[in-house]
Amino acid sequence: MTQQTPWRRVLVGAAVAALGILIVRIAFHGSSLPQIQVTASASTPTPTPAPPDPVAPASALAEVQPQAATKSASAHAKAAAVETLGPPIKTIGSKDAPIMMEVFSDYQCPACGSLFELTLRPMINDYVAAGKVYLVHHDFPLPMHPYGYQAARWETAAARIGKFQEIDAALYDNQKFWSADGNIEKYVAGALSAADFRRVQKQMVGCALETKPSQGCALDVFIEQDKALGNQIPVKQTPTYVFTNRGQRLAPGAGPVAWPILKQFFDSLN
Amino acid sequence: MNQKVSMSGGRVLLILGRLVLAGVFLFAAYAKLKPQGPMPWSPASVRTSLAMFAMQVDSYQLLPESAVNLVAHLLPPFELFLGLWLLTGIALRFSSLITVLLLGGFFTVMVHSYMAGLEINCGCFGPGEKLGPWTLLRDGSLLAVAIAVTIGSFLIRRNQVPQQIAASPAAPIPEGTR
Repeated sequence: MTQQTPWRRVLVGAAVAALGILIVRIAFHGSSLPQIQVTASASTPTPTPAPPDPVAPASALAEVQPQAATKSASAHAKAAAVETLGPPIKTIGSKDAPIMMEVFSDYQCPACGSLFELTLRPMINDYVAAGKVYLVHHDFPLPMHPYGYQAARWETAAARIGKFQEIDAALYDNQKFWSADGNIEKYVAGALSAADFRRVQKQMVGCALETKPSQGCALDVFIEQDKALGNQIPVKQTPTYVFTNRGQRLAPGAGPVAWPILKQFFDSLN
Repeated sequence: MNQKVSMSGGRVLLILGRLVLAGVFLFAAYAKLKPQGPMPWSPASVRTSLAMFAMQVDSYQLLPESAVNLVAHLLPPFELFLGLWLLTGIALRFSSLITVLLLGGFFTVMVHSYMAGLEINCGCFGPGEKLGPWTLLRDGSLLAVAIAVTIGSFLIRRNQVPQQIAASPAAPIPEGTR
């Protein structure tokens, strides 16, 4: 009996120590995600892969749903540790639509904001909803806008959990407010549930406010991929949009355009 | 003799200027009407190209929708007509004057939009050309050429009139008045 007691204490102590080490590791390294190799086609720019329908679950994401909350801290920690996210899905509409519109924009660009409010929003409610147009967003933050890159990071993080459309709208709707002070987080939080915001916020660890990519931010690889695609166009100003009709790419356009004029162009294609 | 040399030199410059302007307008019309993608020429491709040009006109944010469509659908054919007219050299005073008015209008709109900070395409020779200092310099130079051609054509016409009067045979003096 007296010989078993010390061993039991040793075993319990070792288990507690291991649990503590595990908790510490998760707390400090649990938000880091595995590097995802993304390759851009060198010959022809390709849009970001998208789910077939925005309403349907984002099956393209390799996401493990976190387990239900339990009283055990280890269960929480384990769930957070295993969540892996795929590339961001920055598209709206059905990819089977005959017309694809790729928009390269900067969230802090006033012309991009006007394009969204006056053109893209009615287009989404009309032609995108009807399956006529497939909208693809590409980030192209410009160095002259101090908060554009950070806004793209928030949107990219949201896009990785299937909340691109909500944050895209929230950023443009509140552009003049967060452009003044850089407080983007407030508007992202307001557009998401508490749980979704935590998932987005976790991805922003290491993404300090900067106008250029940093090695510590795992989201920057996706933004730089978009910029590389834009440089192949080449994108010289924002917004720039590229149309593809039934697989045939047309010349790019730029600047604001009223929805009726754009609609007329879409109607001329088919 | 010197006057004759300068006159012939002036005519050469006038012809060169006229041909440059004709080439610019013909190319501008072609760039706006040609298929804007890997597709053959067809009425549908022209309709699409004009719809794309309407988007560029609209990006200047100066005209209502109805006027945008009117300008977008009439301007390229008019540029084609003007280019051919300049090429023939017929009634150069009038064709060059219309060219000045047209280019003057373009230049004014471009300067206004550039000063307003609009990040748009010029739309001068089809899509894909950003409005900026280079496009302003180019179109301003073309305007200067058009003005020079217009002035030159009027001057040459003015000098031609006395020569024609001097060259015409004298009217016979009726008998009985000598």
